[in-house]
Amino acid sequence: MHERLSFYIKRDSLIHRLNPLTKLVLVFAFIGIAFTFPWYWIGLFLFVFVLIPLAFIAKVSREYFFTATRLILPAAGFLFLMQALFQPIGEEIIFQFYFLDATRESLAFAFTIAARIIVMISAFTMLLLTTHPSELMSDLTRRGLPGQFAYVIISTLQILPQMQAKAQTIIAAQRSRGLDTESTFLKRAGSVLPLVGPLVFGSLVEVEERAIAIEARGFTSKKEKTSLHEVPDTVTDKTLRWILIILIILSILLNLWLS
Amino acid sequence: MAFVNIQNLTYKYPLTKTPALQNMNLQIEKGEFISIIGANGSGKSTLCYALAGFVPHFFKGEISGEIEVDGAASSKSTLDEWVVNVGLAFQNPFNQISGAKYTVFEEIAFGLENAGVPREQMKSRVEEAMQLTGISNLADRSPYSLSGGQQQRVALTSILVMQPKLLVLDEPTSQMDPIGTREVFSVIHNLTQSGMTVVMVEHKVEWIAHFATRVIALKDGAVLTEGKPSDVLTSDLLIENGFGVSRYTSVAREAKKQGLWKKDKLPVTLFEAAEGFNTK
Ligand SMILES: Nc1ncnc2c1ncn2[C@@H]1O[C@H](COP(=O)(O)OP(=O)(O)O)[C@@H](O)[C@H]1O
Ligand SMILES: [Mg+2]
Repeated sequence: MHERLSFYIKRDSLIHRLNPLTKLVLVFAFIGIAFTFPWYWIGLFLFVFVLIPLAFIAKVSREYFFTATRLILPAAGFLFLMQALFQPIGEEIIFQFYFLDATRESLAFAFTIAARIIVMISAFTMLLLTTHPSELMSDLTRRGLPGQFAYVIISTLQILPQMQAKAQTIIAAQRSRGLDTESTFLKRAGSVLPLVGPLVFGSLVEVEERAIAIEARGFTSKKEKTSLHEVPDTVTDKTLRWILIILIILSILLNLWLS
Repeated sequence: MAFVNIQNLTYKYPLTKTPALQNMNLQIEKGEFISIIGANGSGKSTLCYALAGFVPHFFKGEISGEIEVDGAASSKSTLDEWVVNVGLAFQNPFNQISGAKYTVFEEIAFGLENAGVPREQMKSRVEEAMQLTGISNLADRSPYSLSGGQQQRVALTSILVMQPKLLVLDEPTSQMDPIGTREVFSVIHNLTQSGMTVVMVEHKVEWIAHFATRVIALKDGAVLTEGKPSDVLTSDLLIENGFGVSRYTSVAREAKKQGLWKKDKLPVTLFEAAEGFNTK
């Protein structure tokens, strides 16, 4: 089975060394500014002049471009088309496609939305590429995020690939017993039903056992937890976080002031 | 008083009619290595859960009688207090992986993090425990990438590292090869030598005969018979009640009928059998 169950790329870079919370604040700064800063080109600007250089600084440019071309840009492109053609705003028709038309306004709107989405997903991708999930969670738990909450997030991230693998196993097993999973949609929909049982009931028993297993290791202990990983939090981190927060606030204020 | 003391324990899972444990009485001394045997559904796992506090604190249901470990009563404790003293590892290793950790090292440290053990101490305890069970080489692997047998060792190590006073193991070697099983048995044997008390559900009678200090045979939620491995594992009572016995015991039993086995006592292991057939 897969050894790698997270996006994390272990490398040594300025960004890797930042505290996880700093990177999380950075993500929210990107989102906050992209969504509020009252300048038409802000999304594109952030993408080209901040995010892309950041990918190089973080030494994850290859992995980032891989995700960008496979996932982020296609998703943004699709969103752009939908918004441009279906937004019923504006008068000045620039482009027509049967009964759908793109106006100057709807194109501008679509462009803004798509750029924001690119910034948002890119920022998150960058966080996941440069931050070990355990470190993110132990840092957040140390700062007061409930342990149960962190557990749910991180175990879901890990267990999804497991579920997928299990579904494949069940499908293979059922198919070898003559179950049809490859013909027409309706037939297939009907034949998927026998898969639900093992997957769900299997999972329920598993959930119970897993609950026992983590409980046996003191998961709900009332003692204050410690953490294996030491997650450094430097003065640079703290300063950077304050600067980012101020930037977000300024962007919001500027937005309110201009509208 | 005995280190573990079970008094008149009767327990019914919620929504069931027949009790899974019926009027059970059991005393275990410190440092004993107890092996539990019994057919499917005879209550072995339920007994493990009862010792580890999950019956009744997790499973609910109707309970009467008392379970005491090291002078403390389960009924007067909460589960999170109880698990500090009693460690439990069970059969399916996959479901014992916390799912919150990316490496075996982190996985084993999980319990220590929950217990609030300081970082430096945590690292040395994890390393020690991995050395003990022979999995130091797996430290950086993902727990999900391991074989069933390796995962069982990780599960065992994850509990051992917490240094419980009583270790409860429910079929911990079911997915291990003979070499792995042997190693686990000898690790557990060494632990009992240094004072840990172990209760282990296990079917591999030859290993039980070799290492356990006492065997307890369960039937329908009650103790059928108990005693020294060499006595219990060769008793007629086990055969009459459909328990699996060692092939050496079966062979010698037949041999005895035909006058080929001269000794009084039947063998459990290959060694005892060979020795027995050599006595004239
Ligand atoms: N979670 C449960 N809910 C209801 N009944 C259970 C549960 N677990 C076990 N039982 C029942 O309790 C009895 C003893 O089961 P168990 O302790 O698992 O036996 P063993 O481990 O020896 O196979 C069985 O009759 C079983 O069906
Ligand atoms: Mg069982």
